[in-house]
Order: sequence, then structure tokens, then C-alpha cells
Amino acid sequence: MAEVKKYEEPRIGVFVCHCGTNIAGSIDVKAVMEYARTLPNVIVADDYQYMCSTPGQNKIAEAISEQKLTGVVVAACSPRLHEPTFRNATKAGGLNPFRFEMANIREQNSWVHMHQPEEATSKAKDAVRIAVAKASLLEDLIPKSVPVEKAAMVVGGGVGGMQAALDLANAGIKTYLVEKTPSIGGRMSQLDKTFPTLDCSQCILTPKMVDVYRHEGIELLTYTEVEAVEGYIGNFDVTLRKKARGVITPAEAEARGIVGGGCTGCGDCATVCPVIKPNPFELGMAPRKAIYIYHPQVSPLIYTVDFDACVKCGLCVEACDTKQAVDLEAKDEFMTVKVGTVILALGYDIFPIEKKFEWGYKNYDNVITSLEFERLICASGPTGGHLIRPSDGATPKRVAFVLCAGSRDNTGVGKPYCSRFCCMYSLKHAHQIIEKIPGVVPYIFYMDIRSFGKMYEEFYYRIQDEGAKFIRGRVANITQDPVTKNLHVNAEDTLLGRPIDMEVDMVVLAAAIEPTAETEKTRRLFGVSCSQDGWLLEAHPKLNPCGTTTAGVYLAGVCQGPKDIPDTVAQAEGAASAASIPIHRGEVELEPYFAVCMEDKCAGCGLCVNQCPYQALALVEKEGRTVMQVTEAKCKGCGTCGGFCPGGAIWMQHFATPQIIAQIDAFLLGGEQ
Amino acid sequence: MAVKKDYKDQKLAEKLRDRKYYIPDSNPEFIKDVEKIGQTAAHMCYQCGTCTGSCPSAPRSSYRIRLFMRKAILGLEEEILTDPDLWLCTTCYSCTDRCPRDLAPTDAIMAMRNLAFKRDIVPRNFLQTVQLIYKTGHGVPNNDANRAARKRLGLEAEPETTHKYPEYLPGIRRILDHYRLKENADRILAEGE
Repeated sequence: MAEVKKYEEPRIGVFVCHCGTNIAGSIDVKAVMEYARTLPNVIVADDYQYMCSTPGQNKIAEAISEQKLTGVVVAACSPRLHEPTFRNATKAGGLNPFRFEMANIREQNSWVHMHQPEEATSKAKDAVRIAVAKASLLEDLIPKSVPVEKAAMVVGGGVGGMQAALDLANAGIKTYLVEKTPSIGGRMSQLDKTFPTLDCSQCILTPKMVDVYRHEGIELLTYTEVEAVEGYIGNFDVTLRKKARGVITPAEAEARGIVGGGCTGCGDCATVCPVIKPNPFELGMAPRKAIYIYHPQVSPLIYTVDFDACVKCGLCVEACDTKQAVDLEAKDEFMTVKVGTVILALGYDIFPIEKKFEWGYKNYDNVITSLEFERLICASGPTGGHLIRPSDGATPKRVAFVLCAGSRDNTGVGKPYCSRFCCMYSLKHAHQIIEKIPGVVPYIFYMDIRSFGKMYEEFYYRIQDEGAKFIRGRVANITQDPVTKNLHVNAEDTLLGRPIDMEVDMVVLAAAIEPTAETEKTRRLFGVSCSQDGWLLEAHPKLNPCGTTTAGVYLAGVCQGPKDIPDTVAQAEGAASAASIPIHRGEVELEPYFAVCMEDKCAGCGLCVNQCPYQALALVEKEGRTVMQVTEAKCKGCGTCGGFCPGGAIWMQHFATPQIIAQIDAFLLGGEQ
Repeated sequence: MAVKKDYKDQKLAEKLRDRKYYIPDSNPEFIKDVEKIGQTAAHMCYQCGTCTGSCPSAPRSSYRIRLFMRKAILGLEEEILTDPDLWLCTTCYSCTDRCPRDLAPTDAIMAMRNLAFKRDIVPRNFLQTVQLIYKTGHGVPNNDANRAARKRLGLEAEPETTHKYPEYLPGIRRILDHYRLKENADRILAEGE
């Protein structure tokens, strides 16, 4: 049982890293090493330019076998960066890898105390002393392997989620694709064309939507939201809420014994429905009925009842006739699925740009957002692809595009980040009106044109050549002529150094984007962090952009930060690859940082059981006594139970009370006993 | 430093003056002084022009607040403090309301005026305004036309200010004296005679 397996005599090796000048630039590495030699239990101390290099690692391994060390301390960078490296070196020397302790003297010391070399050196000595104290009490730990469920879940059915689901399913993994709206397709299905190739967005997306719908390996769950999540990598139990759709599929009809029944997407129900509502897919610019589909290419092609609007007159039920697909008494249903890994592809919303009141959105008729522009210029949109002024239906001849509308804004109203694709789609918008409206002039108000992608700068060149006018200045405010409803755009042409009052027929605001309303709730369910702007936090911005700090949960697309379609698809494929690795390996190793019950001390009071945030603890009968038992795979090693146990009967592996006390003593007593 | 050439004709010399930006022409401390007095991070300006686009002075003058911000960042102290445009800001604060970097360009301009005043570079009308405030409590004192208009509107001839309550004038004068504003205005105006 877990007792402190104290070696008769701890033998510790200390290795101090220069990290080039990163550490040695402000910390006296030699002095720290000499100091380490004076500490109790330290048998050997050494320093090296780069401890993480092969010669550096060899030093550790050799010292372990030559000096018969029982513990290793490396004073270097953050454990997040090189703990795995040095654990491997410890293992290579013949010690259990958990006999290693790291002292961070770079991120938490040399980098922040660059100009205080003396104090930094003194602090580094403290850090080493504390680490040595813990290393003297470290014990052998064996990581636990758990099997991985051979299934995955993708949350969000936009282009990123669809790509990730297709990749996973094509790799032979059963994949649940969960989408909150009635159809997959996401934002991309609302776009008319894509830059810089000018492909029709729907034309390239629809085949993918059909592939997803038809794929045997994908279970498509539309109009469904994540309700609860339990478990851990390899074994997530995800509870889903299938929202009451009011319409059943042919498969569901068959299950209910209705022969030849279920929704075929014929639309007879919507024809007779008397309730008219704005269609959110068309951003409210076109009507839909209370029983509806967003657009003809939806997948799955199944109607949905908007129960907030439905008056339950029953006309649709009559119209559906023998197919009996409409069920106005439908209720939300819940289902739980077990998956090994999860990909979040939650997408984005448009920032409510009316908050920047100086541009008059929602106040002036002819000020629209870029997404509204996409629907108006789209042949399948509410106007059949004719761009018109909302005020009078006239075709605009002078159109101003306002870039950075709410992006790169530090006022607290807008968003401080660059939304990253507005420059490019605004160039595309300029091209589209030049193509469709003879004599039109697009005026693009910009601060910087950020055309960084492949063939993007060439696209900028092309649009300038086609006749778009570029004005280098952010729009100060917009006013409306009350009679003509024309708009006056006020700005400074900063290249001329002259203020502009430009009268135009229409203004298109390239509004900033923000995380969706549901992102916050969903990320909390999966235990994923977010950065201060609300986008989900990747495990490492450069070296692990698809992973999160929660094992088994990965990110794809804009939910991790603004990105365009190619980047979203690329990240989705990366996330799918990452999410498939644990599944294909079949098992994952968990860090052995779990709680252990010291049964001889446990009184079986059970108070810890309710404290555990992960339901990892239970009371069991053993040898006639009631004691607590830990389900190791569920335990995250948070220490809540260990800190709480009135009898001190819970041993937190690798963070045990004696180890922590030794660290505190080492710090407070400065090495004196 | 700017290259100087010895033209006999002064007009020609001015016309062909070297206008390049040379680092020695700039004072790197200037922007720090502006930020300290103006309490705004003026060096964060990214030159979008929202300020000038919002400015009521800009369409009617050569005053470009964005250019003042730019010159301040480059440390062009002489050029800024001797530019009469510096005094064309109406302090309406539209630029400060709209600045996407959340700066206060108005306060930066006020700071630069402060620095100019320290070197006695102030337009005469501003100094005369100081004298009027000292004398009457108003930058634009009441006059007979105004009094008549007020009476027509059924108001008292004098507004509820130092015009009606001259006993508060000493207080105002004490504030102006504390900053030696009147004293300096008088001196600079006299020196300029």
C-alpha cells in the first residue's frame, strides 16, 4: 500500500541549464550549481549549455547509472516544455521517470528578472533547493493504461466539422456529427462565392454535405445539442439533447411501423402552413413558415417545426397525409453516446455591429453587413442575386465597403483582434458588383489590406485592376440623407491627408466576428479553456494548434480563432488526425497522478465521495470494513479529496503531503532542518 | 541633419530646403512628455484617420490631428510647437469618442499646447481670451446686442454667471493667478508689441 517508500539514503543529481543566454544571461549558472552541491542528499551537480540536447540528456542518464542516483532535478525551462524530455532521460538512466523534478528558472525567473541578476540567481537557488527537497521523497509511479472507445464525436456541422467527420469516418472510426441547427453546412452555405478562386460556395459544399449524409461511418445528429459530458480521454459519455423537431425521418417512421412514411422533403406542409416568420438563414431578409427548411440544399432534407411559432392548427399534418411525418406532440429526447475523442468545431457569429452606432447599422436602411451582402448577391438568395438597396429596391451604383468594422478595436465595444478574412471577402464583393452591375464603383475604406494567403495578393492586384477604388482611411461616421436615403461616408484619405465626405447608395460593413453564443457553455462542458477574447485555447499556439489542454478534445476552425475556409479545412484535417491517434492505438496512458486510499487510516466516512468533482470515488466493503475506493481512470489528481480528508487517509500520488511539506520547509527554512 | 545650401535668394532657399526626416531632428522624449501631460498612450496611434474624419476643424482648415499624432511619435517637436494649426482644435472630443485604439487625441493636442505655452508660443487671440476671462469671467463676455436679445426672449439681461454675480470674480482670478496665466499672457502680449 502507499507508504512513503523512502530509500535508505536519497541520492540526488542536479543539472542546471544555461539555455544559451536565456538563463545564463541573467542568472549565474555556475553559482547555482555550486550551491546545489552544498544541499543535503545532492551527490552530483552539473551544468550544460542546453540540457535538452542529446549530450545534455546523456549527462543525466550517465550520472544516474554512475552515481546510483535516486532522484533527478533539472533547473531549466517550464515543465510544460521539457518535462517529457527529461523524464525520458531519467528513464534512460534506469530510474522510474517520475523520479524527476523540474525547477523552472527560465519562464518564472530569468525572463522576468532580466535586469536583476543577483536577485534572479538567489531565486534560482531557492527553486533548486525546493526541487531537491521534493526529489528526495519521490517514489516510483506506473502510468495507467485505459482502453479507448473506437468512436469519435464532432460538435458543429460547418465546413470544418464536416471535414473532420469525413476524415475520421474514412479512417474507419464511427463518428457522431452533432449540429445544433436543422441542417449541416454552417456559415459556408450562406456564402455566394469563395475567394480567391471565385468558386460558387454552395456548389463545392453541397457534394460534401451529401457525402456526410450518406457516409455509413457518420451518424448525423442535426437539431441536436450537447447536454452533458462525463468521463475522460478514451471514454467520454456525452449526453445529447435531440430537440423536438416535430417531423420524423423515413427511418423513424419505419421504426414506428408507418409503411412508406416519414419526411421526403416534398414541402406540402410548408405550402399550407399559415404562420410566416423571418428565415434566419437569409438573415431575416426572406420569409419562412413555422414548418420549414432553411434552403433547398439542406442536408438532411427533413422539415422542422418551429414550436415557438407553431399554432398547432394541424394543416401540415393533413397535408402530409399518409406519410404521417409530422408529429406536433414531439418532445425533446435525450441520448448518451460513448466516444474516445471529441473535436469541437463550433464556428462563429457576426459581432452585433449596431453597437458601433457611428456607422448607423439598423438605423439607416442602406447600411448592411457583409453576410447580408452575401445573401443579396447570391443567385439563390432572397433577391435572386440582384443587389438592391433595402430602402427603395434600386440598384446601387456607388457602394462603400467599410473594413475593420469592429475589428482591431480597443475601445471595449468592438474586438481587439483582426477578423482575418474581411479584407479578402470585401475584395471579392467589389469584384462581384463590378461583374453584375454596369457602371458601379466600389469604394473600399481600409487601414491595411491583409492579403496573406496563397494567390491572395494576386487577387488584390486583380480587383484593383478591375476598377475598385481604395481609400486608405477608417470610416469615422456615416450619416443618412433623410430624403434620398443615400449615405454620407466621412473619413480621412490618410494618403492625401484630406477629409472625405463621400455620398454613396449603399454601405457594406465588414463586421467583426465573435464566438457563437453557445461556445461558452459547450467549452465548459468539455473542460476546454478560452483566451480572453473568448476563442477556444489551443494546447500550444505553434506546436499543438489542434489540441487542447484537456486530453482527447481537439479544435477545428474558427472557434479556435478567426480563419478562412482553407485554414479551417486544414485545421479540421489536423484535428481529425490527432483525434484518430488514440483511437487507433486502442489505449492511452494516463498520468499516474491519482488519489490512493490508505485503507488502514480510512474511517469510511464517505465525505470525500461527494467532494469529488469527477465522480471518481466510492465506498466499498473490504475485509469487513467500509473504505473509500478510487476509480483511477476517472481521477484527475485535483487533490480536492486529499486536502479534505479529515483523517489524512488519502495519498495524492506525486503531490503527496510529505513531499509538499518538504518543499515548503525547504523554502521557508532555507535548507535548515 | 538637414543639408544646408547657401542660396543667395532667401525665397529659393526656403523653396529648395531639405525636407527629409533626419533622426537628429527629432526629440524622442517629446512623445513621453505628451503622454505624461495628456494621460493617453499617444504612441499607440495606428494612423487610421478616424480622428481627422471626425474633426469639425479639418474640412475648413489645414489642421490634421492625425498628422500631429504622427509627428509626435516621430519626435518632431519644433515642427509641432511652431505650427499655428495646433491651436485649431475645438476640443469637441469627437476623435476621442471614436478612436478605435481608445486614445484621447484631444488630450494629446492639449498636452502639446501646454508644451508650446511653456515656450511662449501661443496665438495672441488665446492670450487675449485669458485677459478677458480675468477681467469678466468670460472668454466671450456679454455685450449690448446679447443683452437686448436676452430681454426680447424674456430673460434677464445678465446670465447666471460672474456677470450677475461679480463677487465670484476674485475666486476665478485666484485660480488664474495660481497658474500665473494672466501674468504670462500680459508679458507675452507686451513682448510681441
